[in-house]
Amino acid sequence: MRSDRHNDDLFDEARLRRALRLEASELPPRIDLAAIVADARAERPAFAVAALVSRVLAGVAAAGLVGLIAMALPTVAPALASDLFAAGIETLTRVAIPVSALLSLAAQPTVPIAAIAALAVAIAYEYAQRRERVLEVTS
Amino acid sequence: MAASVALRIDLPVFGVTSPVTFADGVRDHQDEVYGVALRITGDRDAALDVASSTFLKAYRAFDRFDQTRPLRHWLLRIATNEAISYVRKRGRELRRSVDVEEATALPDSKAAPDTESMAREERERIRAAVSLLPELYRVVIVLRYFNELSVDEIAHVTGRPASTVGVQLLRGRALLRSALEVKP
Repeated sequence: MRSDRHNDDLFDEARLRRALRLEASELPPRIDLAAIVADARAERPAFAVAALVSRVLAGVAAAGLVGLIAMALPTVAPALASDLFAAGIETLTRVAIPVSALLSLAAQPTVPIAAIAALAVAIAYEYAQRRERVLEVTS
Repeated sequence: MAASVALRIDLPVFGVTSPVTFADGVRDHQDEVYGVALRITGDRDAALDVASSTFLKAYRAFDRFDQTRPLRHWLLRIATNEAISYVRKRGRELRRSVDVEEATALPDSKAAPDTESMAREERERIRAAVSLLPELYRVVIVLRYFNELSVDEIAHVTGRPASTVGVQLLRGRALLRSALEVKP
């Protein structure tokens, strides 16, 4: 019991702060700013060369890509456009065939489109009314 | 010095322009940077290396430093990342400058330790327990109890959500408590 209490005390936040605090004997030697600057400058040429090489390579690659696109576009564009146009026409045709069949069926005077629509509206209305009544009863 | 002049920047705070230099940052925060490195790595030489590399990286990136944010947090962030990298690189060998058993050993009952030596022993036990914590919890514990940062500040420094930091602090304290309860 006493030991537990001791450990709790030991772990007390204030003691934790005290324990982690830097002691005078732990203080580091002063950081030499001049040495840091010298190190950074000594390493900088290597970084600068690497960065320059990287930029040059990226520039060459980008220029090559743009040039390739510029050269290929005039030859590819007409073919691409005609392919796209043909694909569009084909899709339109595929959709139009079933739609025209449905439209011609609906246009026949023997099919009472208006009556069917009225029936659908009436069913939907009744269904909605019934749901409202159920909600009123349960609430 | 040419470097400090070259790195002088103007920091607008409430409309007032106050210069902040890299030299100011080094002078004002070097102990704290070294301290956080020491408490995370548990090794003085490693902490010196980490502090040096922290300021070297900070020097290189100082022109990209977001002037609206505290320099202290920025330096602590670099230092924390450097210390974590160092610990990961070195692995277990670096983790321990104090042995676990030594860390958890109670004082010899035959000896009559004075108050100072008891306090020293207690400090060593706590430090050892902290340096044995998993890295995830050690970092937040050190930033909280050594650097005295708030949960939000720790979240900013570590890049973790504040809620995560809160949980990690709780868990870290629980781990510390159980580590300190271990008897030899």
